[in-house]
Amino acid sequence: MATIQFKQVSKVYEGGVRAVDAIDLSIGEGEFCVLVGPSGCGKSTTLRMLAGLEDITDGTLELDAQCVNDLSAKDRDIAFVFQNYALYPHLTVAQNIAFGLESRRTHRSAMVAALRGNSAARHAESAAIEARVASVSHTLGLDALLQRRPRELSGGQRQRVAVGRAIARDPKVFLFDEPLSNLDARLRIETRAELRQLHRRLRATIVYVTHDQEEAMTLADRLVVMHEGRIQQNATPAQCYDAPANRFVASFIGTPPMNIIDGTIETREGQYSFVASGIRLALPSRWAPFSNTPRAITLGIRPDRVHISNASSNAIPATVESIESLGDRTDVALRCAMGRILMRSLPESLQNIREGDAVHVACDPAHIHLFDAGVAGARLTPIA
Amino acid sequence: MVSLETPQRAEAAITGSAGIALIPSDPQWSNYLHAMRETGSDPWWGFIDALSNSIVVTVLVVVGTVLSSSLVGYAFARLRFRGSRSMFLLMLATMMLPGQVTMIPLFLLFREFGWIDSILPLVVPAYFGNAFFIFMYRQFIAQIPESLVEAARVDGLGHFAIWWKIILPLCKPVSAICAVFTFIGTWNDFLGPLIYLHTDESSTLAVALNSFKNQYGGLEDVHLLMALSLLTMIPCIVLFIAAQKTFVEGLARGAVKG
Repeated sequence: MATIQFKQVSKVYEGGVRAVDAIDLSIGEGEFCVLVGPSGCGKSTTLRMLAGLEDITDGTLELDAQCVNDLSAKDRDIAFVFQNYALYPHLTVAQNIAFGLESRRTHRSAMVAALRGNSAARHAESAAIEARVASVSHTLGLDALLQRRPRELSGGQRQRVAVGRAIARDPKVFLFDEPLSNLDARLRIETRAELRQLHRRLRATIVYVTHDQEEAMTLADRLVVMHEGRIQQNATPAQCYDAPANRFVASFIGTPPMNIIDGTIETREGQYSFVASGIRLALPSRWAPFSNTPRAITLGIRPDRVHISNASSNAIPATVESIESLGDRTDVALRCAMGRILMRSLPESLQNIREGDAVHVACDPAHIHLFDAGVAGARLTPIA
Repeated sequence: MVSLETPQRAEAAITGSAGIALIPSDPQWSNYLHAMRETGSDPWWGFIDALSNSIVVTVLVVVGTVLSSSLVGYAFARLRFRGSRSMFLLMLATMMLPGQVTMIPLFLLFREFGWIDSILPLVVPAYFGNAFFIFMYRQFIAQIPESLVEAARVDGLGHFAIWWKIILPLCKPVSAICAVFTFIGTWNDFLGPLIYLHTDESSTLAVALNSFKNQYGGLEDVHLLMALSLLTMIPCIVLFIAAQKTFVEGLARGAVKG
């Protein structure tokens, strides 16, 4: 177990592409930290710098309060689970799991032991490795597969061998680079639960990279949302969902994504309201500090906080564009003057709605989020 | 066929005064023993010397070529270093130099080293890679997922250990092709040993065959020459059959990747 500290760490590739831009991040002992973001946001590069597979252009990376910028991958005592598992195809499952342990048996000590005829020590070491492989394979349910080669295994089994190879060494830090993306949907959910259990049992420091925000939400103790090489938010999954730090996090975290509407905030006759495309929505008084002058602003509302309204005041007139029934819930796409709005409801509340109907939709005022205008608009915090 | 004929009939067949029987009426199997005894100036020992020299040279050259070519191929495929591309092109350019051009400078160089009449001029260059095989290894290694090398680095291996424990075992099909072609080339090499090895004791089989020619270039014992030639071919054929499975595996793996 270890602590990890990124201090103003940057990565600039040849040709000037800045993949990671001066990030500060501190990960505590035994924490399950998930780096999430769209493709090209710098999350994998961050992980690879931590593993020692990429050089750090600028800044300091500390493992257990020691600078490891110039330490090679093999000396960092970390384990890495790759997206394609990277199992050695010419070795059996048992040899794959034992590989890290075998290669860490220092050659010099093995040679000295051999020269001195100290075979007892060598045997003891081999026996220890065998025992470790047996216990790891038992934990992961790989006992029956030990003599098989990777090509004879299914995707899920390969994934477990890759995890086995990582835990066999008992490293300081585990790094996972989108390890579930090659599995089918059902297996992904099962493996997710297994990983969570594994973390609970090992209490190891884990850094996990994914572009799947659902995976990120379910696994993380702490979520680090990245975009264009910068950290957008570093908080618990619940905080990222309930109080997104900016417009990017708001639209990235949550399925279906948050509705984003550009408009202005205004005060008229003591009433605060959000105005967009001529439609006026009343805002609770807690937004008062932002409504002194008409100001460009972005409103965010989660699809499950939008509902069909019987009244036409304080609501948005819209046309039902499509209805997708998912059994336990129904997703409705609505077309209105501001663009497209998504709504998620229980099926029974939508029984009389058909595609093409004209309706009024209202937003739950307590769950409105406001952001500064612009793509990177920061969250505006209302008064309590 | 000629190797199984009597001396008179073999000579008649070669000079064209008589035809060759498809199945010799009186096969002379003893020609083979006779040929082995007559090789070189020392009965039996001439053959044994030539055979062991051929084996030693060939084995050393095959091992050297496979090891050095795969190591350099790995470096070109997986290591990022300044000038790697131009160095690779330069290496490929050496393939365009005909052997005849480098023959005399190399001879002078090896004479300077005092290596003449030893196997060193034949063996040592093999440990510095072969441009064609380096190219083949590089192309093959470039197809091996980068993450395997990275996994090995995280698992605690350095570049030499990665090459030895991961890359070399995965390159079996290329190594088989490299080993068989190098084996055939070295085993049958005539010019190299002829230039560098001067004594009977140090000559290889390919050169020893030459002892059946008389000083005017004519053939006296053509049946013995044929018998020994046939014996010389056996290892090449056996090796080719043995490595065939790996060859096909390599070709199939290249065809259906995934």
